[in-house]
Amino acid sequence: MSPARRRPRPIGSDWRNALFVAPYLFFFLALLVFPLFWGIWLSFHKADTFSDGPFVGLANYIRLFNDRVFLQSIWNTFYFVLLTVPTLAIVGLMLALALNSSSRLATVLRSLYFSSSVLSVTIVTLIWRIVFVPQFGLLATIYGWFGAEAPAVLSDPNLAMIGIALTTIWWCIGLPMMLFLAALQQIPVDIYEAAALDNAGWWRTLISITLPSIRRTFVLVLIIQIVLQFQLFGQSWLLTKGGPNNLTKPIVLYIYETAFRRWDVGLGAAASEVLFALILIAAMMQYLTSRRQEES
Amino acid sequence: MRIIMKVAAISILAMMAPAASAADQVEIKLQRFFGACDAQFGTNTDVSKAVGECGIITSLINKFNASNPDIHISVTNVEWPGYDQLNAQFAAGDPPDIVTVHESALSDYQTKKLLMPLNDMLKTVGITPDQFTEAAQVGATKDGKLYGMPIDTWSELFHINMDLFKKAGLVNADGTPIFPKSPEELIAQAEQFKAKTGKPYFVLSLANETALYMRDLYTYLFQQNSAFFADPKHIKLTTPEAKRFVEMYKTIFDKGLTTKNLDYSAALNAFLAGEGGVHLNGTWVVGDYDAQSKTPGTALNKGGYEVYPYPQLFSGAHQQYADGHTWAVSVKQRTAAQSEAIAKFLKFYFDNDYEWARTGHLPSVQAVLDSDKFKALPHRSTILAVAKLGHPLPSQVQRQFALQDIIGEEIGAAVTGQKPVDAALSDAEKRVNDLLGNL
Repeated sequence: MSPARRRPRPIGSDWRNALFVAPYLFFFLALLVFPLFWGIWLSFHKADTFSDGPFVGLANYIRLFNDRVFLQSIWNTFYFVLLTVPTLAIVGLMLALALNSSSRLATVLRSLYFSSSVLSVTIVTLIWRIVFVPQFGLLATIYGWFGAEAPAVLSDPNLAMIGIALTTIWWCIGLPMMLFLAALQQIPVDIYEAAALDNAGWWRTLISITLPSIRRTFVLVLIIQIVLQFQLFGQSWLLTKGGPNNLTKPIVLYIYETAFRRWDVGLGAAASEVLFALILIAAMMQYLTSRRQEES
Repeated sequence: MRIIMKVAAISILAMMAPAASAADQVEIKLQRFFGACDAQFGTNTDVSKAVGECGIITSLINKFNASNPDIHISVTNVEWPGYDQLNAQFAAGDPPDIVTVHESALSDYQTKKLLMPLNDMLKTVGITPDQFTEAAQVGATKDGKLYGMPIDTWSELFHINMDLFKKAGLVNADGTPIFPKSPEELIAQAEQFKAKTGKPYFVLSLANETALYMRDLYTYLFQQNSAFFADPKHIKLTTPEAKRFVEMYKTIFDKGLTTKNLDYSAALNAFLAGEGGVHLNGTWVVGDYDAQSKTPGTALNKGGYEVYPYPQLFSGAHQQYADGHTWAVSVKQRTAAQSEAIAKFLKFYFDNDYEWARTGHLPSVQAVLDSDKFKALPHRSTILAVAKLGHPLPSQVQRQFALQDIIGEEIGAAVTGQKPVDAALSDAEKRVNDLLGNL
């Protein structure tokens, strides 16, 4: 057999290879790409739940940006992202640093911190309702021990979103912690050994070795969390129903109320497109900033 | 070999026998809210033993299935009110055959031609519209036809802890509670109550709840003869009548005459724990509260429990907002046998309206409402008046559940001081009209 005959054919030359990606491609196109474009199309129509309605141009977008509740929901979403994403990244990193060892206690604690992530939003909000409920809740009981009255977290305009953020951080902390743990375990041990030989302290090692080594994971965690937290819905719906006075109503809850409870599908689709653009911009900005920093 | 063949043939026939009888059975899909209680009533067919909405409806359906072997009602239980799921089913072309729909939500589906007019179907089993109470007829009739078979009329009520009312000196010589006759009297009595008992007059679910505000607004606007829905596509809330209502509730809130920050279940528990004098809640809790009042050691057992319609606080018509539940039937291709089975089920429910009325709801069937048996049920002598006082929104008003969210959010913001009263009413009016103007 000649050497030329033994050389494998380049993978890309055979169209049948496309069959391997066809199942995924089908679902990707049917469940993501098609709904995306259909949503854009609906946003230009006066559509309700049972009919597409006439073409109305930008009327839905004009209604949307004249709606103070929608503008409030944009602010609420950003405020929530601001409360949760940095906290999840920093607390997740701190937990990962603290639990990055092979001791039995660290293993148990890792499982414990991750366990809340496997719960459904219904269970999570049920647990936190029991904590927050006035008079009979855990918080009220603890305050009662000191003869004080617990704040009404879920109906206080200043505290309601913080309560939802706290619930979310408790629920979602497992994933960033695990991603950071995976990244920490990828750092070669010999770098730490070299640092130890140079008498580098814990802080110097963290700043000069650990953090630069996991920079990409940090960006990944930020992007994942931005995308996830922009889609806040279940916690708000189940804990406060968007109240008090719409102060915890995120964009997704606005979309749900508009499209499903009011049957105003065109307006809901327009709000969905705005949310899509916001997530895209936020994630891209984060990605481009980190890439520019890396290049410089 | 022949014997083996015979055994095989007999076995196949034996296997086919139950399959054949199952195939003969007419399958009807029913969807309902009212909660799940299968652990307690999942197999119960003795309706007299059932209590509460869930217990009674579950037992009634069990009884129907047991007494009609040729029909099987398969039940899907949805979370209240279940309209998101129903919309998705209609959009997908797979709605249930029979479904619970509020009278206030019937217009939404009727205008889209998704529900059947039931007059003809009900006639086949001997039911005519005039057999229903006036409130039930008005609520379920759209464009002159019944689009749901009414099963009850419900309304918000004044549920009263008589022990605290006695302590507050708010009881007449005949033992009945003293009610206010004006907003000023309401505030004065609530202050007297608080001074004498140390507890708030009202136990209200105000934390992120919208239903109570909306129902009470409608009630007190009716009592002021306000034509706030003169045009079913426009609401008028920037009126002195609406402002008077919001300011009354704001005074109650500001003076601490109500519990604060309680959601629905917390408010219910607070009332049962004796944390206040008057709990505003619906007809559906009458049965449960009455049972509590008969249980030694409970707060309601101390001095008794009474329940009344809303007091007349204004000089207009004596009315209060009421709604009702119906069984609606979806528009769908059906066999004659399926339509007959649905009619049979509706007739069964009609005949058992007394059992359903044990929940605390007022019966939709006039004969049941007039019966001594019904009147002998606890507290019916006081709440019977709701059948006449009960008043829905005009039947052409659509998206009433969505309106509840908007109105409740805005009035809640005004009552709790997060928004000026005028701004809240103006915003509520604008938002409702934007919604109704874009149907």
